[in-house]
Amino acid sequence: MSKPKQGSVRERGDTISQEKVIEIRNLTKMYGNHVGVKDLNLTVDKGEIMGFLGPNGAGKTTTIRSCLALLAKTAGEITIFGLDSHRDAVAIRKKTGYLPGDFGLIPSVKVRSYLKYLLSLHGCSSTKKMVSLAERLQLDLDRKTNELSKGNKLKVGIVQSLMTDEDLIILDEPSGLDPLMQQEFYRILREEKKHGKTVFMSSHNLAEVESVCDRVAIIRKGQLVVVEDIQVLQEKTGKMLEVEFRDPFNIDEFKFKGVSSIHQDNGRLILTIHENLDNVIKAVSNHQILNMNLKTYSLEQLFLKYYAEEEVDERGDT
Amino acid sequence: MFGRIAFMELKTGWKGLLIFGLLVLVISAGIPLIFPTYRNSLIEELEGASKVHLELPNEQGGMITLSWEPVETATSYTVLEDNRSYMVTPKFKYMGNETSITFEKDFEEKRYYAVMAVLNGTSDSMLIGITATEKGEDPFQELLKNPAYAGFTGGRNISMLEVKGFVALEYYGWSWMLTGLFIAYLSVSLIASDLENKRMDVMFSAPVSRRRYLMEKFTAMSFIALFIVLVEITGLTWGLASINALNEFSANAVFLSLIGSLPFLMIIAAVGMATAIFFQKARTGMGITFAFVFAEFFLIPSAASPRVLNGLKLSVSSNTGTTSLSSLTICSKQEISLF
Repeated sequence: MSKPKQGSVRERGDTISQEKVIEIRNLTKMYGNHVGVKDLNLTVDKGEIMGFLGPNGAGKTTTIRSCLALLAKTAGEITIFGLDSHRDAVAIRKKTGYLPGDFGLIPSVKVRSYLKYLLSLHGCSSTKKMVSLAERLQLDLDRKTNELSKGNKLKVGIVQSLMTDEDLIILDEPSGLDPLMQQEFYRILREEKKHGKTVFMSSHNLAEVESVCDRVAIIRKGQLVVVEDIQVLQEKTGKMLEVEFRDPFNIDEFKFKGVSSIHQDNGRLILTIHENLDNVIKAVSNHQILNMNLKTYSLEQLFLKYYAEEEVDERGDT
Repeated sequence: MFGRIAFMELKTGWKGLLIFGLLVLVISAGIPLIFPTYRNSLIEELEGASKVHLELPNEQGGMITLSWEPVETATSYTVLEDNRSYMVTPKFKYMGNETSITFEKDFEEKRYYAVMAVLNGTSDSMLIGITATEKGEDPFQELLKNPAYAGFTGGRNISMLEVKGFVALEYYGWSWMLTGLFIAYLSVSLIASDLENKRMDVMFSAPVSRRRYLMEKFTAMSFIALFIVLVEITGLTWGLASINALNEFSANAVFLSLIGSLPFLMIIAAVGMATAIFFQKARTGMGITFAFVFAEFFLIPSAASPRVLNGLKLSVSSNTGTTSLSSLTICSKQEISLF
């Protein structure tokens, strides 16, 4: 498999010059001989929701934990709010809410007193936001921490990362809520963004990143593959539309600009759509539909697309 | 605000601490309570010495006569000789049915004799008594002051017949060991459980420096150690008062001696926390800190005094294992050894 070169990392989101909240320069973290992250460059602008996408073990958590000085980096430099991530770690944490990817709670205390305890460590005394977040996410504050299900534990983590009302919110894989709660959580994040907060969230789920992020950085095997505006990414990857018609149809009807592939399989139509979704749907609606499915490509499929392109680029260069 | 982390630690751990506190209270109050019973049984054993009579010759050399009271169920008697009261390598002096022996005094040094009755129908022997060629102190008392134990008692003159000696040996030694191990366990798990249960990331997402985190954990440990020591003082005072022995102790001595253990407990706590941080594993940290606690007990004479208790058990190796002085039996091999 070909590795992307440093120069091939595109930063299309950089067109608008903005205040940078997180700046990661040439971050390298080695675990012995094993590469955690290598030569990673990334900036997160003020007021955006930046997705950090990659499969498990790609280096997302390593990057995030390095930002918060929870890991000692091997090389490189990270500044957050213009402060050095390691030297000024405590000052940075004062302005940062963080949801770790894997975390434990203090056992045998009520969720309320646990969260109050964390609030007090942040030097906050107001529980207003904590209570409203818990209400929105339907988290019972009077349960004991050791009685919580996995989903409820995640809710506690989400509440603790947002309740202190910090300027920067770093979320390490905040997925695992039921779909309704997940949507509520995305709404909360969009509201935070409206209030000028910056969100940096990692995920291994493309659909999640698409539904909430402005930009996405994709990482694989410790190296940054690409940084892209979410719309550009969506156009590039496209969506897969699968329709089952009652009657026979002609695939030529669906040949629009922005439709990259058309297949017919046992009376089912399978399209990859990059743009012009509206026209496609209108054409589809001319027939009697039995079933329809619009799917986001998986991360692996996305990688295949990017790597295929990378190879084309490289060939073009030579 | 400093103190929040320490407070949370105490708040979440109070149940375990309370249980341990109760255990310490029972032990602290209980040890003085068993002293009267212990003393009576010890005196009973000491009386055994008077059941053996030793007549010394008037002039240099001459004949020694050793006689003892007959035992009804005995089939024969054995006399062992050694030049040390604790009889590590005794020699057979006599085996037979007689209840007295006479032999020439062809030695200068002090020698000790243990007389045993071989009981009817068994291979076991019963100690009748111990005596020595020089009069003066009771050989049992002498045993307690034997130089072999001086190393463990810091050279102090300790008598188990007095409540002071009993408490000093039985209580101080064990209680330090017990609380030391508890503090070792707690201090390691205080850090290691945060690591192993992945609570560190949440902790350090708050503006808390590593120094503050450690200081707060250490503060929590200090309070726990202080609590345990106060429980010890309460328990011991209570126990001593119950047997009307409080006047034999100065209140200051009880208080200061226990408060004096605080620095040792804090050193253990610091070592425990350091090993937990270094190895990032509870089991490894625990092992090393426990080893440290044991090492401390052997390095500090006063703290090593529990060994004296083993010394008191004039234990006899036999095919049935070892038995203590209070039920002394001697096996067919008939060798007396300590520990």
